Amino acid sequence: MELELTLNGDDATLTVARSASLLDALRRAGYTGAKRGCDTGDCGFCTVLVDGDPVKSCVQPAVRTDGAAVETVEGLGSQDDLHPIQAAFVDNAALQCGFCIPGMIMRTKGLLDANPDPDEGEIRESLSGNLCRCTGYERILDAVDDAAGRLARTDDVAADGGRPVPERRSCAGPAPGGEQE
Amino acid sequence: MSRTDDPDDGRAGELPPDEAERDAGADAADDPAGGEYATVASREEKVDARSIVTGDARYTADYAGTVPDLAEAAVLRSAVAHGVVTEIDTSRAAEMDGVYAVITPDSPSVPDRPYTSAGQSYPEPSPWDLHVLRRRVRYVGDPIAAVAAEDTATARAAVRRIDVTYEEFDAVFSPEAAMADGAPRLHDADEVENVQPGADYERNVEARVAGEIGDVDAAFEAAAARPDRTVVETEWETPHQSHCVPEPHTTIARRDEDDRYHLVTSTQVPWHVRRQLAHLFDVPVRDVRVTKPRIGAGFGGKQSMVIEPIALALALAADRPVKLEATRTEEFHAMRLRRPSRVTVRSVVTDEGDLEALDVSVVTNSGAYGPHGMTASGAVGKKPLPLYTHTPNVRLEATAVHTNLPVAGAMRGYGAPQGHFAIEGHMDEVARELGLDPIEFRSRNLIGEGDLDVASKILDPGEGHGRRIRSCGLDECIDRGKDAIGWNDVDQPEEDHLHRACGVALAMQGSGIPGDELGAAHIRMNEDGSFVLQTGAVDIGPGADTAMAQIAAEVLGARPADIVVQPSDTDVSPFDYGAYASSTTYVTGQAVKKAAEDAREQLFGVAARLLDEPADALTARGGAVRSERTGESVSLEAIGYESIYGDDVRAQVMGQASHSTDESPPPFGAQFVDVTVDERTGEFEIHDLVFAVDCGVAINPDLAAGQVTGAMHMSYELAVGGGLSFDDEGAPEVCGFRDYGMPRTDDQPPLTPILVETHEPTGPFGAKSVAEVPTNAVPPALSNAIRRAVGVRVSDLPITPEKVNAALDTQ
Ligand code: FES
Ligand code: FES
Repeated sequence: MELELTLNGDDATLTVARSASLLDALRRAGYTGAKRGCDTGDCGFCTVLVDGDPVKSCVQPAVRTDGAAVETVEGLGSQDDLHPIQAAFVDNAALQCGFCIPGMIMRTKGLLDANPDPDEGEIRESLSGNLCRCTGYERILDAVDDAAGRLARTDDVAADGGRPVPERRSCAGPAPGGEQE
Repeated sequence: MSRTDDPDDGRAGELPPDEAERDAGADAADDPAGGEYATVASREEKVDARSIVTGDARYTADYAGTVPDLAEAAVLRSAVAHGVVTEIDTSRAAEMDGVYAVITPDSPSVPDRPYTSAGQSYPEPSPWDLHVLRRRVRYVGDPIAAVAAEDTATARAAVRRIDVTYEEFDAVFSPEAAMADGAPRLHDADEVENVQPGADYERNVEARVAGEIGDVDAAFEAAAARPDRTVVETEWETPHQSHCVPEPHTTIARRDEDDRYHLVTSTQVPWHVRRQLAHLFDVPVRDVRVTKPRIGAGFGGKQSMVIEPIALALALAADRPVKLEATRTEEFHAMRLRRPSRVTVRSVVTDEGDLEALDVSVVTNSGAYGPHGMTASGAVGKKPLPLYTHTPNVRLEATAVHTNLPVAGAMRGYGAPQGHFAIEGHMDEVARELGLDPIEFRSRNLIGEGDLDVASKILDPGEGHGRRIRSCGLDECIDRGKDAIGWNDVDQPEEDHLHRACGVALAMQGSGIPGDELGAAHIRMNEDGSFVLQTGAVDIGPGADTAMAQIAAEVLGARPADIVVQPSDTDVSPFDYGAYASSTTYVTGQAVKKAAEDAREQLFGVAARLLDEPADALTARGGAVRSERTGESVSLEAIGYESIYGDDVRAQVMGQASHSTDESPPPFGAQFVDVTVDERTGEFEIHDLVFAVDCGVAINPDLAAGQVTGAMHMSYELAVGGGLSFDDEGAPEVCGFRDYGMPRTDDQPPLTPILVETHEPTGPFGAKSVAEVPTNAVPPALSNAIRRAVGVRVSDLPITPEKVNAALDTQ
């Protein structure tokens, strides 16, 4: 079937199997930034934003994102021109093998869009669905904190057009057909 | 006493302790910046950081879209713990739409000779007891058949349609049961090749090794008759631990246009995989190519060749490229695991606190097959014992036993975490018995700089003389760790039922396997003054490529960004034993340093012509070569251009070198834990985990510190969480991250890494290793802290509130 969505700001049509997850759909379309670590919603390596909310794309049926706005790590900065969150991860040495990082970055973006000035407890809680086996998390927590500061500073100069800040939804268990956060 | 001229060649001779001092700063003479390193020992951006944060970095699975006609695969695994497959009916699977091939042990493309999945040097110190697919199954998860299809969903559906009939045998799940009289036998000795020392397949013993220094029995006998001697005996147990590798084991295998076998695979050991595949598929080594792309970490799990042969056999059967990606469930029970262990420690100690004898006996559970069984079991004792190398009488016996459980393999720390739990827990008990402070007691017996480490050779036959310790910052690790954790001044909580205390455990490891490693490097200069560095070093995530670039840049006076590091590919890169045993920075790093020196000599030749100065008056730094005498300089770019397009002699600057060594200098560390325990419930809260490490000079302090926190996280998980469980039939009950309980951001206590600087004269720019040593000591440090807080001992992992509570109840 055909899936019409906004992908990293552009209109896109993806051809997907009815049973495909959003992760399958994205990866088949060449968006390999989101990683497959478990396929059960446990690791968060596949996290992308759907209508501004972090979602584990491996347990998100692709059909349910028809018409949605999906953002993946590919939609942030490029290697020459990093997004402030990406720059914070690089500058804090908050990565090793990197397999968890695209998901961590999208999780961070979702957090900071909703809560631009989180305290450490909020960061820890927000990131708790995204695993990392390499870093012990310390540098990642620093990077998220640093990213918040960087975004606050760039917002002073250039706001991004005033995209509405999405409400944070609470997690009341997996929604039918997949986990919702 | 002799020593080679270059103290950095990794082969410094035997030094008396008083000479060790002279090695400090030995690199200074070699250092263009005059005592200060320019790029080594400084924070440099990880070479792949930008590609990772943008999602550009490609791991094996990410190449799928670039391979035409790629099939995807799934594996059928045994549903019974022990038995033999009497019938496999694949017809229903084979006739499905989109299925390209179904293979079983009888398929022509499936090799039927035995091998080991251990990615070790040749000949592997592991039994060859595995077949690619098996009819004789020995654990729930043993691969029986596999399918290649147009996509993963079809392949999995086809696997479910394969009908298997088993004849079931009795199964055994614990080493005790496996060694008991009348126990079912797992392996037939006649069918295993490369059998290891001490194997007794009648009793399911895969290997048994033993060694002794002094006379342990005599020491215990004498102690029994003396009132000023104390004998202490303790017993310790550790469970399975999963690597929890982020990127599942993934392989893309194909026969290429030249009829050679090409695998793009997530491995730590491309060269061992190449050799083992050549053996299995009976082709020359040169006809196999193994490419390692970016790897989503390994931790030893990808030192094993588990899925590559299945993917290749499928590719041959389907006559098209095949991608096989393990599921997370398979990761938890069909790849490799840390081996469970039971360790008994007995010691004799004098009233003053001098250790007179240590007797250590280790039994580990290998599971169904034997990769790394002998070596990792021996390491359980061999790794921690040298901490107390002054003990005159030491005995170690280690036995690896087969059971019908998943297969143990290599895992970060390689036996040392199990051993440190036992030895460092035991040391606290001895100190307690004598009424001594645990740190003072340890310090009295501790290894130090200049010492001859005899204990590391305990399992080597003959008169092993051990290694000389040329750098040891253990005292400073202890001091700084104590300060950071607040050893002497933790406040007791107001509530009477809460008790707070710090615990300590020391740790050591090695840097590579002495006498059994090879790293090679090749570096060539481009016309713009940049360099292409090829090494066999296998960066699996922590940053080997960056460290190699820094080492080369340091020698060449270049910026690390001007060194392009190529990922390992057996067709392209020089040889390397692979990423294991904490060897990369130490062994391959030294090869890179030598290769860069070779290149530097050549570029000095060009510069000498351009500057009209003798080559020996030149230094390389800051992107240029200069004459110290005249102050004149010429840029690397000009030299690169001249070497390739110049009017004079045209010759590309190309340096190369290999490095192998008998040295394996241990990194040292001290782990501290600060914990509050509730004596009513056994619940405990960890306030901080501190690990102070002496890794020599940290080539990249940021990356080194990151390795420490990551390893502490893994060690913490072994201490309090994780573990696998199985039902009565041997079926795994833990199949996902959630069941397994890997620590998350909201339940991981703060981790504090401390780098203690020493200088290892045999390492590149003073470096030794840091990858594994911090994995070793959270379990004993936590057990010791709880013991100090509320007086009870938990001696089997994981340490849970329930166990603390149960111990408090029986107190
Ligand atoms: S792949 Fe693990 S949560 Fe999606
Ligand atoms: S960096 Fe490897 S899993 Fe996070």
